Amino acid sequence: MRVVVVGGGWAGCAAALQAKKCGADVILIERTDMLLGLGNVGGIMRNNGRFTAAEELIALGADDLFKIIERCTRHKNIDFPGHKHADLYDVTIIEANIRRYLLSSGIEIKFETRAVDVDVEKNHINAIYLQDGQSIEGDVYIETTGSTGPMGNCIRYGKGCSMCILRCPAYGPRVSLSQRAGVEDILAMRDDGIFGAMSGSCKLDKNSLSEEIRSELDAKGVYITDVPKEDIHPEKLKMKVCQQYALKEFAEKVILLDTGHAKLMTSYYPLENLRKLKGFENVRFIDPYAGGRANSIRYLSMAPRDNTMKVVGLDNLFVGGEKSGLFVGHTEAIVTGTLAGYNAVRSVLGLKCIELPSSLAVGDIIKYENEGKKNKKGLTKRYTFAGSEYFERMKSLGLYITDVEEIKQKVSKLMIDGIFKEKLI
Amino acid sequence: MYRFVECIDAGSDFCPCHLAEKGECIICSQLQNKIFCDCLYWKGTCIYQELINNGNKAKKNREYKKYNIVSVKKIRDDLYLFEVKVTNYLVRELDNFGAFVFIKKPQNPDYFGTPISIMDVDYEKSTITMLIKVHGVKTKDIAECSENIMIKGPYWNGIQGQRFLRNLKNTNVLILGRGVAASPGVLATRRLKLYDNNIFALLDKGRSQENACTSYYKKYGANVENLNIVNYKTNYLTDDFIDKIDKILSSNKIPVILVAGDDDFNRLLINYIYKLNNKIYFASVNNHIMCCGEGVCGSCQIKLSEKYIRSCKQQYNPIEYYLMEDGNK
Repeated sequence: MRVVVVGGGWAGCAAALQAKKCGADVILIERTDMLLGLGNVGGIMRNNGRFTAAEELIALGADDLFKIIERCTRHKNIDFPGHKHADLYDVTIIEANIRRYLLSSGIEIKFETRAVDVDVEKNHINAIYLQDGQSIEGDVYIETTGSTGPMGNCIRYGKGCSMCILRCPAYGPRVSLSQRAGVEDILAMRDDGIFGAMSGSCKLDKNSLSEEIRSELDAKGVYITDVPKEDIHPEKLKMKVCQQYALKEFAEKVILLDTGHAKLMTSYYPLENLRKLKGFENVRFIDPYAGGRANSIRYLSMAPRDNTMKVVGLDNLFVGGEKSGLFVGHTEAIVTGTLAGYNAVRSVLGLKCIELPSSLAVGDIIKYENEGKKNKKGLTKRYTFAGSEYFERMKSLGLYITDVEEIKQKVSKLMIDGIFKEKLI
Repeated sequence: MYRFVECIDAGSDFCPCHLAEKGECIICSQLQNKIFCDCLYWKGTCIYQELINNGNKAKKNREYKKYNIVSVKKIRDDLYLFEVKVTNYLVRELDNFGAFVFIKKPQNPDYFGTPISIMDVDYEKSTITMLIKVHGVKTKDIAECSENIMIKGPYWNGIQGQRFLRNLKNTNVLILGRGVAASPGVLATRRLKLYDNNIFALLDKGRSQENACTSYYKKYGANVENLNIVNYKTNYLTDDFIDKIDKILSSNKIPVILVAGDDDFNRLLINYIYKLNNKIYFASVNNHIMCCGEGVCGSCQIKLSEKYIRSCKQQYNPIEYYLMEDGNK
């Protein structure tokens, strides 16, 4: 059995790894020269409800990626406004570590390979086409191409291309394969009725910050200072993807997190204004390069899916990560990607695809998001274990648990502990 | 079958063009009155961004300029070889697969302009060489030129399926040519030889002893042979050619074949070879009638897979054009 995964971000890596663990031959196609996509500039794990979700997934048997992340973690168990017990992984080393692991697992990865079209016949995908006209055939396909960019969308719905880590100009823009296969994309909206949402953080070169700030970041993982009154723009929060960070504190304070770079928890910040702050006199952006002006636009390319992660209207296409809904974050991508990888293999074997139980946060979010985006108001929301409306839901339903043993027992009682370790072929 | 979408002008000095300005861009979905990106062929620049940065206006069009003729050689009553001194810029830009220009006699109005392929370029002399066959009013006027000529360019869509020719390194390419249509194959040979490709050129003798491009193919190191490829009485391939092509294909790995003749010639050869080996990619010279060269006038429009395309700017897969039209998929 051959599983073709398109898009090598966190969701694609999780899907490829899961399909491989199930026993399939897996080929992963990535447009750029690096895996992890936006995960190369992320870094926040286990904050708030993400702790529960990570532990649930580990108990279910999808522990591989979390082990690598843990090895690459710079700071453990830190707090910052609105967020508890976060881990911060080092974005400068994570990709190479994940890449080695996937390759050593026997996954074939094709880098700098851009998928542009599909050969579809009666709801069944026969092959995907690459830009050079070559085709890649598989029994089942998983699309994890994300929803960020490309340049034209960042121009139309944002403030232009900000030269982010996705590097569309160098490698070419992503293409929505589900839409090419005839299934219309769902587009997210902002409160002001405009489509899309803007990425919510940018990275500063740590070396360009003062020694005092660097020392504090190295020691504590967090540095917080006040935003000058004239630079407070709460309206910027409405544009943000990351509603868990769209808190008042994030407009009034400059919050830096140490992820190898200094992660600045705002969409963009004019360079001249930023340099007025003490210790920021020499500061420069490292991602996006034009972080003084803009950031990438996301959520313009989601495929309708069921709760097994299969695309509605196509027999053999599964989705994960942002492609599968209004999910924010790496943990959410790993959850949805893993389920997509698992069910893709089951579907080819003729087995019934599974849904994760609602009594677990990882199952509930997939169903809740799917219900949510059926109406216009739901399309303005983002779904993450880390905050905003969904974290409140987790707390009210008693899904937010930080006792690892309790999570293990809960999964064990459901008799699904270790299912993601089972070989199906 | 993979249907590629490619505008030859995308990302060039002439992009965005009038099509983009009016919401008819060949590539960019944002400039086809859609509201999201669906970019099927990326050439390194975002056309949408370029248009906005250019004040939502098309870039300046190519214009006719007068150039001096270096030499005119009459090869046959109806066949002329022109060498024209042009700017360094034009030489550089025309040293590409499928390069052509529109030319006309200086006194004539613009609608006398006719598309002519570039056969050769010379950087040192800053000249371009074109083989011109006299067909009718426009080319008769051109044949009368001896001192100056008007040229508008550069254009590049003289060869379809160019993506199969680009990036070839250290491999074999077969060129099958007939008549004046074989001339773009010379420039293709020049480009392919830069990357150590081995070129076999089988040229149809036609009415002459050898094809007029023969010496140019040899100049660039192609293995050239003149023979009768098509028997125009039976309208089928000659036994001599069938024997020859079978031998070449069986003893060499040939990933790409450029067919460089008229439409009947191209169709006959592509259909024959495709039956022998359907893994071979084809490029073909572009024989469609062109008038403006900018995708505006519509004279080069053809129908492919229920869609109309402007073949002066848009690339297609020659297999799709020649095989499907023949009903011989």
